[in-house]
Amino acid sequence: MPRIDAHLHVFTKASSEFPRETSDIWPAEREEPVEKLLDQMEEHQIDQAVLVQMAGASIANHRYLLHCLKAYPNRFLGIGLVPEGHPNPADHMAELTDNTGIIGFRFSTFGGPRDIFEKMDVRKFAAYPIWKCAAARDYVLWLYPNAINAHLLPYLIQEFPQVRVVLNHLAVCPGKGKFSWDEFGRPQIQVTGYNLTMHTTYRLARFENVNVHLSGQYAFSKEGFPYKDLAGWHHGLLSGFGAKRLMWATDFPWILEEPGYGKLTTIIEKLMPNLTESELADIMGGNAKRILRFPDL
Amino acid sequence: MILPTPEQKEQWEEEGYLVFEDAIQGEDLKRLQTAFDYWADASKAEWLDRVEGGEAVATFYDIPNPLEKDSIFIDIIDYPSYYGTLMAFTDHDLILLGPQVRTVAPWPVSYTGWHPDVSQSNPLHIKVQIYVNDVEPGSGEFGFVPGSHKPDAGPYARPMRQESMPGHKTFPGKAGTAIMFNSCGWHVSMDNHSDVPRKSIILIYEKRTPGRIGPDQFASISAYCQTPERRKLFSLDG
Repeated sequence: MPRIDAHLHVFTKASSEFPRETSDIWPAEREEPVEKLLDQMEEHQIDQAVLVQMAGASIANHRYLLHCLKAYPNRFLGIGLVPEGHPNPADHMAELTDNTGIIGFRFSTFGGPRDIFEKMDVRKFAAYPIWKCAAARDYVLWLYPNAINAHLLPYLIQEFPQVRVVLNHLAVCPGKGKFSWDEFGRPQIQVTGYNLTMHTTYRLARFENVNVHLSGQYAFSKEGFPYKDLAGWHHGLLSGFGAKRLMWATDFPWILEEPGYGKLTTIIEKLMPNLTESELADIMGGNAKRILRFPDL
Repeated sequence: MILPTPEQKEQWEEEGYLVFEDAIQGEDLKRLQTAFDYWADASKAEWLDRVEGGEAVATFYDIPNPLEKDSIFIDIIDYPSYYGTLMAFTDHDLILLGPQVRTVAPWPVSYTGWHPDVSQSNPLHIKVQIYVNDVEPGSGEFGFVPGSHKPDAGPYARPMRQESMPGHKTFPGKAGTAIMFNSCGWHVSMDNHSDVPRKSIILIYEKRTPGRIGPDQFASISAYCQTPERRKLFSLDG
């Protein structure tokens, strides 16, 4: 069974060939190229990976991702972005998925009522056309919902039960103002001690098309690797979703310095020591291969 | 004090729950509904901001510090229709752990799955859920597995769907109904497929153990607790 890193990012220096947005964390001259990733994968026996677009949602901003997918068609699948408020998201998505290796799109807002007590008409959600398009064209939706959006998800999932959904990073829904970067250049999300997602995204386990990434531990934990304080969250996800709907991922490159790529390839067995060999193999790649339809190597 | 009948005692021992229909009625129920609606409305905006900030659960909210907001929330803690039963089951050594004055939104999925609250090693832990509005079938009513509170019950698996729990019973009811249950038992809030929020109050009690609740916990309502019985219930004198 292949070992698949189901969520990470690569980017190169900003250039006219590969334009991208910049920030303090990914300035124009910084690069975390696919070759660097391949070196890590080779060293730690990881066969395939999902490359997730960052630093811009325009078609041009996706050029480096498309380049990587074209260069290594059997190694990678891609997840793109849709510009917020795009007048015709279906066209944007169609252009990016035209035999390119991009299989779906990532987003974190759904454009419905902020208040769960309001009447919900899913057809009026801003994200409805994206979901409709995903249902028609069999795209995967890669979701990292803001906290104020989590309650909208089941309405969309009910409406489009055929859409494969992957909740990123332990199904956590980050709160407004709770995001920062740490001294290792890693995203940090301030979360409450009580796991609020038990009452929102964890409850989506009932829907068979919903899957969850076991990743991003470094961003939520108050401890060092292997982030034992999150063992209960992993157990809760296993208990709810089962071993067939969980996917391991590293969130490269943010983790390169601390704790390092190699350590993260062992995190599942450290946090979930009671998994059977078969369950571990599923989480480490079998599920990603089946759900995301990775090609045979 | 209204003590439980032999039949109620037997049901409590065997099944782990009791239902008190019309436990609160008339003017008291109106007082409770009015206070609940007023304070739930007053609390909502701040709750939504906390949801947005990732500091509060998105699928329900509780009125913060309800005992300080209206005396009816104190009066229902030792309300005559079920207080004697609580006292009898705890050998007249009852303490309040706290109230949850809760509004649960209609949602495609219940906000919680089947679970017990405490293990068998915990001192007797009892909850009383009081419906503040009518709770019809399919609108977030309480569910319980009779007998699941016993040490030799189970094991129980957590089913994906609420209605798939073997042997469960659901408890729709009119406003003012109180459902008392042993928290070792497996329970849940059923799905709410209606368009009506479920308004209820969950009172949490335990048989006293030394130091479980400090005298500061409910000090803010001390003036309202003048009888020795109430001061003991609220652990006000240590």
